[in-house]
Amino acid sequence: MKKIIRLTVNNEEHQLAVEPNQTLLDMLRDQLGLTGAKKGCEMGECGACTVIMDGITVNSCLVLAMQANGKRITTIEGLETEQGLHPIQKAFIEKGAIQCGFCTSGMILSAKVLLDKNPKPTEEEIRSALSGNLCRCTGYQKIVEAVQSVSEDDVGPARQES
Amino acid sequence: MLLPKFDFHEPTTVAEACQIIAEYREKAGILAGGTDLLVAMKKKQISPQHLVSIGRIDELRKLDSSSGMLKIGACFTVADTAASEVIGKKWGALRAGARALGSPQIRNLATIGGNLVSASSAADLPGSLISYGARVVLTSTSKTRVVPLDQFFLGSRRTEIGYDEILTEIQIDEPPPYSGAGYISLGIRASQDIKIVNVASFITLDSSGKTIRNARIVLGCVGPTHLRAASAEKLLIGEGPSEAVFAKAAEAAIRDSAPRGARYSRASAGYKRAMVGELTRRTLGIAWKEALE
Repeated sequence: MKKIIRLTVNNEEHQLAVEPNQTLLDMLRDQLGLTGAKKGCEMGECGACTVIMDGITVNSCLVLAMQANGKRITTIEGLETEQGLHPIQKAFIEKGAIQCGFCTSGMILSAKVLLDKNPKPTEEEIRSALSGNLCRCTGYQKIVEAVQSVSEDDVGPARQES
Repeated sequence: MLLPKFDFHEPTTVAEACQIIAEYREKAGILAGGTDLLVAMKKKQISPQHLVSIGRIDELRKLDSSSGMLKIGACFTVADTAASEVIGKKWGALRAGARALGSPQIRNLATIGGNLVSASSAADLPGSLISYGARVVLTSTSKTRVVPLDQFFLGSRRTEIGYDEILTEIQIDEPPPYSGAGYISLGIRASQDIKIVNVASFITLDSSGKTIRNARIVLGCVGPTHLRAASAEKLLIGEGPSEAVFAKAAEAAIRDSAPRGARYSRASAGYKRAMVGELTRRTLGIAWKEALE
């Protein structure tokens, strides 16, 4: 039986009727049209569905929509502002950290949570923070370099939407 | 990959949760972090008709060390366990296990109680908890019982928990003076890996630091549940700590283990046995160093 939930997604409040067996990922993609969170393994292994929930990264394939009731969610669509792309998004483009792009949303969101907490991470800290996001194209090097370049730009902590 | 259909319950107190599962019994599944349960449901290995989420019960998310004993609520997350200064300072092997588990996203969702109830001998938290002599609190509408964790696991995916019970709390006594513990889990990758072998070792020395008074060694991935390396423990007690004694204990731990071969597992039995020895030796070394601090 459907139940009504209320949650904030990318700073917008939503009230939605969801099924108990609906995941947060399906709700974001099918009901809100936010297809930036990708459906990869659906088992919590690949990280393609990563979103930020109340300030921490989660695999949205392993969260029921009903468990997201009352939470604040940030998806990749929430990072761009009127001023343009988020610095991490720009860095991924500039450093060629994107090939097929399927892992990119999750990678950038994991990097954002890291940089919000730790604006000057070491390479090891970056690799550890991204260890739940699998990439089958890049070999990770350019992704790590992109995150490093943002931390070196000294833009300060990324904006606190989450 | 769709989840089977179920009714969703979201109680806000333990008493309410116990009432719901007492009513639905084997038809109910308890949802904590969901990182094991929802995967098993997606794979259609289980399909509870009623899912009882305990994630919004505040009393299950507490960490309390005020009584000289550490009490961890079942829904305390693995990420919080890995980050906790209190846990890191006195129960470092538990923190090592929490850091080794899954990925950042999984650690953010997964709970300490869930890692126990899933009852996998490859899990990263039971080993150190057993080595510390931890107990679990099982609560139902009619009673509360406290079970030593080394009697909690009955087999792979099987535990002491009855249909009407919820694992609500993990209790760990403060280690006696001159104690230390180490935990290492070996996998192919550093994260998102099901481990090949994991070992936790705990020792207590006498006040001179020259004699081992107590030892507990727990082996994972080499049997249906985590196993105590009983003969290795016996060999250590009364001896002076040294690399040579730890090497002998490692040999005994190999004999205490019972790994199945690569046909059933992620590595051959011979490799697992060799790694049981090596990890026993190394974790005893970590425990010794910590005991002298």
